[in-house]
Amino acid sequence: MLPILITLLGAIAATLLGFFLPRRAITVISMVTLVLSGVSMVTLWNGGLTSFNGSLQADNVALSIGLIILLGSLMTLLVSFDTAARAKLAFPEFDALLLYAVTGTLLIAFSGDLVTMLIGLEVMSLSGYVIATLQNSRRAEEAGMKYFLLGAVGSATLIYGIALVYGATGTFSYVGIRDATAGLQVENISLLVVGALLLLCGFGFKVALAPFHQWTPDLYSGAPTVVGLFLSTVVKVAAFAGMLRVFGGAMQNVPAWASVMQILIIATIVIGNLGALFQTNFKRLMAYSAVAHTGFLALALLANPATGGPALTYYLLVYTLMTAGAFAVLAALQRTEEGFSLDDMRGLFYRHPAYAVALAVCLASLAGLPPFAGFMGKYLAFQAAFQAGYVGLTLIAAMGSVAALIYYLRPAMLMFMHDRTPAREYPGERTPTTAAVVLGVVGVTVLGVLPNLAYGLVANPAIWTVLAGR
Amino acid sequence: MIHFFIFLPVLASLLIFLVPVRWREEFAGAAAGLTLAGGLWSWSVGGLSYYSVPWIPALGVTYSVQMDGVSLLLGIVTAFMTLIAIIYAGKRIPNPGTMLSLILMMETGLLGIYAARDLVLFYVFFEDALIPALLMLAIYGKANRMAALVKFAAYTLFGSLLMLISIIGLKYYGGSPTFALVDLQAHPVTGTLQTWLFLGFLAAMAVKLPLFPMHAWLPDFHAQNHDSGVADVMGTLYKVGAYGLFRFAVVLFPDAMLELRPILMGLAAFTALYAAWIAFSQTDWKRLLAYAGLSHMGFVGLGIFSMNETAMIGALFLLAFQNIYTGALFLAAGMLQERVGSLSTKVGGIMTQAGALSGMTMTLWFASIGVPGLVGFVGEFSILLGAYQVSPWLAFIAGLTTIAAAAYGLTAFQTTYWQVRPAGAVLAHDLRDLDWLILGAPIAVSIFFGVYSGPALALVQPVVRTWMAGLGGGL
Repeated sequence: MLPILITLLGAIAATLLGFFLPRRAITVISMVTLVLSGVSMVTLWNGGLTSFNGSLQADNVALSIGLIILLGSLMTLLVSFDTAARAKLAFPEFDALLLYAVTGTLLIAFSGDLVTMLIGLEVMSLSGYVIATLQNSRRAEEAGMKYFLLGAVGSATLIYGIALVYGATGTFSYVGIRDATAGLQVENISLLVVGALLLLCGFGFKVALAPFHQWTPDLYSGAPTVVGLFLSTVVKVAAFAGMLRVFGGAMQNVPAWASVMQILIIATIVIGNLGALFQTNFKRLMAYSAVAHTGFLALALLANPATGGPALTYYLLVYTLMTAGAFAVLAALQRTEEGFSLDDMRGLFYRHPAYAVALAVCLASLAGLPPFAGFMGKYLAFQAAFQAGYVGLTLIAAMGSVAALIYYLRPAMLMFMHDRTPAREYPGERTPTTAAVVLGVVGVTVLGVLPNLAYGLVANPAIWTVLAGR
Repeated sequence: MIHFFIFLPVLASLLIFLVPVRWREEFAGAAAGLTLAGGLWSWSVGGLSYYSVPWIPALGVTYSVQMDGVSLLLGIVTAFMTLIAIIYAGKRIPNPGTMLSLILMMETGLLGIYAARDLVLFYVFFEDALIPALLMLAIYGKANRMAALVKFAAYTLFGSLLMLISIIGLKYYGGSPTFALVDLQAHPVTGTLQTWLFLGFLAAMAVKLPLFPMHAWLPDFHAQNHDSGVADVMGTLYKVGAYGLFRFAVVLFPDAMLELRPILMGLAAFTALYAAWIAFSQTDWKRLLAYAGLSHMGFVGLGIFSMNETAMIGALFLLAFQNIYTGALFLAAGMLQERVGSLSTKVGGIMTQAGALSGMTMTLWFASIGVPGLVGFVGEFSILLGAYQVSPWLAFIAGLTTIAAAAYGLTAFQTTYWQVRPAGAVLAHDLRDLDWLILGAPIAVSIFFGVYSGPALALVQPVVRTWMAGLGGGL
């Protein structure tokens, strides 16, 4: 359980050393911690270790999602290097809390039972609430408050669901639940179904499935951009990891959740895409786009884990790269934490050509245009859902993508239109942020042209049959 | 060699930004010239053979490419017109680096479309060609380009996403191990399912063809593009719907195509006539040409949908060479705009001041309206000949289009180039240096293949015969 311990130690170190060292040093330490954790994950690959009697399991699923989480966190830290001071976030506590949150997310990814998962989720959420409000501004406070209230409701729902599932099956562990539900020889089937649906609602809050998404636009646009980056990538990846474990592994055979999930996905795709279509602020647009992507990601959850699992993992990786890349450009160029209005983006290409092209690549990828990796992600999700028999749902998702193309295209194309008004961007060079942008753009392009680099690692169906543990 | 042919342009389009600004036109021209030379060399050796490697093995996606006759003809035409467009862009557009890069990027997309023998790869190239087209419109377009852009993108993506689902369905229901065309052919999908999948596939191709209800993006796309007409040349080349239908739909959805044949042929004939009708009332050369192109595409669609050998050969022939004369006409319109500052069809009197420009434009219009001896005639005649065997009435309706074409083309030509030059109008200078090449080369090609169409037909015929033979005759 080394990877989690390393991040935890890093978090503690950041907390304590924060009294003595300047913030940039702490950030460097945090980044080193993340890299070390990543290295230890790579060494565990194919090991299939478990500890605490199966409560934590380091199978390849956990490791691949863990690596995606670390990647997102690393990009967050890189961006925070430059922009934290401007966003009035430059305290060492930011890094400490961030690492606590990462520890929580890793706990979810590695969890082997519902309690571990819940602990991870709470650690992640509590840190998230604080990070969102850390900036001393009304907007951030309002955003954090909404996040906290709705997140707390989500957690409560989740805990209630866990209690009911425990009541029905008599166990917390994924293996136990799966065994108990395998032939549906459960004492009280209605208890189990209600429990599963409550779990679904609870997770719905965390990943922002409509109609539980209402906090997202306010949070992403109200909180500092770098926080928005973190919450929309790392936290979402972790919440999906939890869903994958619970619904893809433990409760796969439980009836009813899949049909409810379908309705939620349709609502998410419709609401997220239509909402994004009418935004004039780029940050809010990204927030709605994050909701829309939740819908596409969830498609993969519905599918058979052998095809849905790799699709989801690949999509999460790509989603992290492209969303973090777009937020990083935004963080580098925005004047205030309110981000750009779409009109501000007019002519960006002629003022900051490299950033504009990078943002355009990220947006093209988010829209699902080849040769960028977003296309492959979307394609895999569609294919997984299609093969599981959800043809209608796939068609709706495809129609949603058309709307998505329009709202991604508008800012992307505005950047290339000539504009004679003076620049509205924050001037200057920001090397670490640029590094994060480059990471995102290169990742999205390389994984788009050679998807097998990442997909090949997780494509083996065998590693997805043990989602619930052995 | 085949990878060189496909990917040389995109490589050049990326490298162009490393080249010093003053050498960029020459660099782009050299890259386009080399690509064309590659195409001609491939022709001389009889096409480039099939090459296939797994791309994403876990998904059964392969990188399969081939340049057989049909692909080669369309590929060479693409390379040829790209070269012409680059020469004109380098001459006409100040600081053309970005434009040249986009043109080259799009060329790779187009060549990839023609070479792809794997459906996912086809989709990837299909969308790849879209991005530079959008950027050209965004960077160089006119005032209302945002609306045109959104319309173009929305139509295109609407179709292609349905096609993507069809592609997934085709492999899944047919049980083919890969998306490669040969494997898909060996594992066909039959019955109603085939019809549904075909409709998904058709959605994308009908947008690109474009077929009647899906055509609305086309006039705006052309009207809002840069005055020079360079972007329009690429737009003309992008009408790959007919090719997609021929390459994939004919062999993968034969029953569905036969079943829907009357409806589709009717739609295509209607598109041809309807577009000609609208073209008649246009007062902007770009819009006029857009509708003329639409009308030609209706013809091409008629040929493809008739599932008749002669008509199909004619359709592919027309598809290839329509690019040349319509593309050159767009450039001629750009030259007109350069001289008189307007794209109106009511300028008047250009002939007296710019005789060569007017004469060459007229020759190109003759090709466009299907005057015998020029290349447009060969294609249109074969289509009508073949379509007549399938449905005489629809062939008759479509045949009316050729009359309509003469009407709209020559009327607009007359009001622009003949009549009297208004008093006090700017002096329109005649063709200069490279202009001669830019219009002359397409005319030379149009005349050569109009008189001696053998070599081009020889490229198309065997492929079409094999394709139709695969359907078991009796069609």
